[in-house]
Amino acid sequence: MSYLYASALLFALGVYGVLTRRTAILVFLSIELMLNAANLSLVGFARAFGLEGQVAALMVIAIAAAEVAVGLGLIVAIFRHRESTAVDDLSELRG
Amino acid sequence: MTPWEALALLLLLFTGVLVVTLKNAIHAALALIGNFLILAGIYVALEARFLGFIQIIVYAGAIVVLFLFVIMLLYAAQGEVGFDPLVRSRPLAALLALGAALVLLSGLWGVNLAFAKDLKGGLPQALGPLLYGDWLFVLLAVGFLLMAATVVAVALVQPTRPLDALSPEERKEEKEVVR
Repeated sequence: MSYLYASALLFALGVYGVLTRRTAILVFLSIELMLNAANLSLVGFARAFGLEGQVAALMVIAIAAAEVAVGLGLIVAIFRHRESTAVDDLSELRG
Repeated sequence: MTPWEALALLLLLFTGVLVVTLKNAIHAALALIGNFLILAGIYVALEARFLGFIQIIVYAGAIVVLFLFVIMLLYAAQGEVGFDPLVRSRPLAALLALGAALVLLSGLWGVNLAFAKDLKGGLPQALGPLLYGDWLFVLLAVGFLLMAATVVAVALVQPTRPLDALSPEERKEEKEVVR
């Protein structure tokens, strides 16, 4: 059970990071932390219920890779355009 | 809970705290690598050996290194940039994160699971039949998603057309404009 509690706390740390970080890249790092917290609980539940949890965790890793590719592409494109990756500068939602 | 488990979980949470608090983005990314390596060890302890190695190779090896590349490419190591629209919002964020933790922990409260299922070590031999059996369509969908993500990443960072890419007639017009 301690693994599941740790996963909950890790997820909360990720939430804190997303709320406090002001650079898009660091927000992304916090999101990765949250994804891994979910993965940890999936693997923990797999230990109790069966292998399906591990397959789901594998899928989460693949989706995280896709998300990072698109997210970092967006960050680079935004940086080219605005010379900044601060999320507060982007709140206007216009070029 | 054995002392090793406690140590691993404490280190996991400690590196997590470092990831969300360190000022320098490169240090935060390195802390994230440490977090992922400890997590890989925990996966191996939970009989998910294949997943543990995938965690090291894909996450610590590929994804975080991609992060480091982008941080260095954009000179974005400085974490505190721009203005702070909500002054002293940190306690509020901490409170919200604490609320999220309490919600998740209350869901786990009173659950008592036996962590003793035989998972055949979580090796590829055990995962493969599931992956290509019940989860086949999920696997195909994820493969398609990865392809789409690759196309999107290339399309997003494509620079505007350089002069060399123009056709001869267009280049002539361009030169006349310059004159």
